[in-house]
Amino acid sequence: MVEPNELLEEVVREVDGVLLFAPTASYHERFVDAEIDVVVVASENDIDAESFVELPVAFQDVYDRVRFGIEGALEQDLLADGDVVACVSAVFDEELDTVSRVRVDADSTSGVYDLFANTRAEPDVLRSVLELVIELGKKGQKGQPVGALFVVGDAGKVMNKSRPLSYNPFEKSHVHVGDPIVNVMLKEFSRLDGAFVISDAGKIVSAYRYLEPSAEGVDIPKGLGTRHMAAGAITRDTNATAIVLSESDGMVRAFKGGSLVLELDPEEY
Amino acid sequence: MAPTVELPETEQIPEWLLDWPILLVSLILLVGLVGGYLLGRLSRSILEAAGIPESVEGTAFERTAQSLGTSTVSIVSRLLSWFVYGVTLLAAIFAFQPTDTEWLWQRIVAFIPQVFIASLVVILGFVIADKAELLVSERLRGVKLPEVTVLPRIVKYSVLYVAFLVALSQIGVATDALLVLLAIYVLGVVILGAVATKDILSSGAAGMYLLLREPYGIGDEVTIGEREGVVQEVGVLVTHLEDDEAEYVVPNSKVFEYGVRRVRN
Repeated sequence: MVEPNELLEEVVREVDGVLLFAPTASYHERFVDAEIDVVVVASENDIDAESFVELPVAFQDVYDRVRFGIEGALEQDLLADGDVVACVSAVFDEELDTVSRVRVDADSTSGVYDLFANTRAEPDVLRSVLELVIELGKKGQKGQPVGALFVVGDAGKVMNKSRPLSYNPFEKSHVHVGDPIVNVMLKEFSRLDGAFVISDAGKIVSAYRYLEPSAEGVDIPKGLGTRHMAAGAITRDTNATAIVLSESDGMVRAFKGGSLVLELDPEEY
Repeated sequence: MAPTVELPETEQIPEWLLDWPILLVSLILLVGLVGGYLLGRLSRSILEAAGIPESVEGTAFERTAQSLGTSTVSIVSRLLSWFVYGVTLLAAIFAFQPTDTEWLWQRIVAFIPQVFIASLVVILGFVIADKAELLVSERLRGVKLPEVTVLPRIVKYSVLYVAFLVALSQIGVATDALLVLLAIYVLGVVILGAVATKDILSSGAAGMYLLLREPYGIGDEVTIGEREGVVQEVGVLVTHLEDDEAEYVVPNSKVFEYGVRRVRN
């Protein structure tokens, strides 16, 4: 008679470290006391963990969450290439209930951590825009699905690679993403065509922008429309990050360096 | 309040002591002070042994006391001590057998409200100092610099100093020297602040103009002094320019010093 314990042991056999996703302080303490290499991945480090990776969005998809945690830990040299780690996270409930065994591969990173940590724009700005787009995707504009394109960071260059479609409603205004009224305002403006341009510090520079980057060498999945193509191309031509809400399938996609980095379904948030 | 109040102790006091009122008074004061202090200590240890600190923990009064840096037990025991000190003081005054007690009482009656106001000011000062310290340290929490913890404490003691100054002048203590010290301190802070933030202030003033009038915006190609590039960000204090090689952070005061050359497009 073989116990289930013994069979499932293989999942965590000889791991080099453990990634805990939003653990409680006492649970984390047990790992520290047992002198296991442990990395905490959470939205904020309220348990004062020594090795910590900040999670900018509460990824509902475990795959995204684990990928972000591992790439973050790799970037901070908390893990090395080839390490095998056990990732403990919560899927069904608030409590940690799922363990996955993952081999760290430094060569095939998706860049999802890079998207937040190594951008020109401040991570908070990017997070606010992403939250805004997710909310926009969930509710739409007056119940109708909307599409939107936000270009975040490197605004000077983006402005020089685009032209106005109409008068810029944000001219001579000093509105920043994250200001309380902005979400409503951007929602209203999102029915306009064209892109929103947001500066590194989060100032909304312009709406109604027609992006004119050269689309050479842009590698995005086939089947996506012009909005995605424009987003991918502008991030290749400048150091900006683009976040797109698709009008047709309602997905939120983030582009950086000309390629698709992150794909989220707003309905899950 | 009759002038011929006879205190029971004085009856047993030997004749020679009564001839030396100073000695008598100091004896009473000494006994009173030591007695009061011992009583305070004793009551504190009794209260602590009785488990009072645990039982009052978390009550509103205890929390207030804690925020003032004390506790219920120490307040109670200190009140006891002070009561003894007060009685001692009165006893000493009567042992002195002053000729004009009426005048003395008038002084005391006039003095009590002043003391009351003074202590109120001190308590208020403590509360405000505490709040100010908390506010400043909350503001500075994001600054990860160990030395920065000095600043909230400086704010706290500055507020306390002013509160004590007000309290002391209320009860009529000569505070001129302390006032001069305060004036020097404030002057020092103002002058140092003005010298240290001179550039920041001028940049801020220029930045206000730039934000209100927007002579150039994000995406414009400008030259400010020796710096040339595309505007990436306009803030209150600085403007970020960028060319192909580097990003320049130009203080806004430079805009007014050199003017701006904007490339027309």
